[in-house]
Amino acid sequence: MIYNLVQICQNSAKEFGHNDAFRYLNEVISFNDLDVKSSQLAKHLYNLGIKKGDRVGILMPRCLETAIAVYGILKSGAAYVPIDPFSPLERAKFLIEDCGIKHVITIPQQIKKIKKLTLKNKNLTSIVGISNEEGFKSITWEDVFKISLKNYVPANILGEDLSYILYTSGSTGTPKGIMHTHNSALAFAELVVDLYDFKPTDKVANVAPLHFDPSILGYFSAPLAGATTVIVSDGHLKFPVSLAELMEKEQLTIWFSVPLVLVQLMLNGGIKNRDFSSLRWVLFSGEVFPTKQLRALMKIWPHAIYSNIYGPTELNQCTNYNLYEPPIGDDTIPIGTTWGNTEFKILDENDNEVKEGEVGLLVIRSATMMQGYWNNIALTEKSMYNLEVAPGFMHVYYRTGDLVKLNNKGELLFLGRKDRQIKLRGFRIEIDEIENILLKFKGVVEAAVVLADLKEEKELIATVLTDKNSKISTKDLEKHCNNELPVYALPSKILILDAFPRTSTGKINRKEMEKIIKP
Amino acid sequence: MEESIIKHIEQELANEEIEDGLELTDDLLGSGILDSLGMMKLISFIEEAYSIQVAPEEMVIENFMTVESICKYINSKV
Repeated sequence: MIYNLVQICQNSAKEFGHNDAFRYLNEVISFNDLDVKSSQLAKHLYNLGIKKGDRVGILMPRCLETAIAVYGILKSGAAYVPIDPFSPLERAKFLIEDCGIKHVITIPQQIKKIKKLTLKNKNLTSIVGISNEEGFKSITWEDVFKISLKNYVPANILGEDLSYILYTSGSTGTPKGIMHTHNSALAFAELVVDLYDFKPTDKVANVAPLHFDPSILGYFSAPLAGATTVIVSDGHLKFPVSLAELMEKEQLTIWFSVPLVLVQLMLNGGIKNRDFSSLRWVLFSGEVFPTKQLRALMKIWPHAIYSNIYGPTELNQCTNYNLYEPPIGDDTIPIGTTWGNTEFKILDENDNEVKEGEVGLLVIRSATMMQGYWNNIALTEKSMYNLEVAPGFMHVYYRTGDLVKLNNKGELLFLGRKDRQIKLRGFRIEIDEIENILLKFKGVVEAAVVLADLKEEKELIATVLTDKNSKISTKDLEKHCNNELPVYALPSKILILDAFPRTSTGKINRKEMEKIIKP
Repeated sequence: MEESIIKHIEQELANEEIEDGLELTDDLLGSGILDSLGMMKLISFIEEAYSIQVAPEEMVIENFMTVESICKYINSKV
């Protein structure tokens, strides 16, 4: 019986020891090596005094060592906290202080950043992955891999123990640390293996960086099935042609990313001339996949099955919708139905269930749900909906803050975030609705609408990316909007941009967008 | 050519201040010096400054990994 994430690594080493566990560019690590090397890291951390409940940082770009770091930290009994190496130093400093990180795992290329961090954070006492420098204790990977496992006693890890903390981007205020246990992560890993029938022969693409929750699939679901995880490099994600080449070369069978990466592959990757016959599942989450783009992709790769996966990081994921045939019409595809060990309710503003087919806020109860927000009990309580089902017995639901309704097939439709519903001059406007209208125009690849503070008044500004081959003018788009939108929801300006500013997870960075818009 | 590209990256495109200067062989992609938007801007800059057209199939890691590889690529085009 498996009840913690560490057993994934141990069991796969026993059963598929010589299989590739993780691959990155030309590097590879087998399940056997992953098991031994992560135990060596765990022993090192244990010798440093790490105990259960402690947090250890991982400051790494996409690389093979991330896998050793993840399993090594978990084996020591601690929880891992990914720190995005590409985020500003201040954010890294905030994370380290916020969750009291004393040890950080890294790679030699990050030395400049580490030096600055150790100067700013007095609590940061030791670093794994770089040679000894003045001012702080450190150990190289080479020396970690020399540690003898004689007398190594693995920590006794329970399902309820803390496994990792993922921080939100903080696009709406201070970053929040989302705490998951071994139970909630393992429940997700197992559901995915079951739903998509992961096999030891599968090759699973891990596109997401470690601090973004889709990485849980690549780092835990794939190893659970004995499959190989192919960590896609940062470079490949910037060049769709290179990415397509990698996909073909690695003969990937399961893909999982935000829709954006797939759209870029399709538009700029030259995928029509390559062989992707190995691909059996195309999974996507994080944002809405524009239906016409999805249909176009499904026509290029007709042999794969597609799955729209939905869920905030607080829940790992919670619903899915499989597509076997390209969708007809341009309506947004459903987020589908809740998966195993999960249930939902749709509530109005007063926490009463809405009538069937009405719009309301989605709340979810699931085995994959987080423990809460790090060091913030008030926020955790605010984000939960408690329902007493028997005296003294509560069902706890997470409030997603997403507006949904059920269609006549009993599938959930995502209608936007509650906080993306704005009021302008007294009118209630759905930002997502305006974006969807823009996306319906032929040649529009992506759309982002922001409410910008220009001059005295707030104004709706629409920005779009267009297909290079189409010659769309802003006039065409204005006309299109005039025909489709009520007057009060019309953007006051439409801008055609070359590219959008993005967050490190590939989502549109709306804060930065406002800066671009402002003259 | 090398110097003007380095200067452009350092002064216009880099996400953070690059200490000790940018080296010819520094990895522009895996190190976080440039994000996707920065890379697109760099390609536009190169197209304009050296009067070349970067074809879609030439937008690959090998051509844009380092300043050195960018210069090699440009020289192969002019």
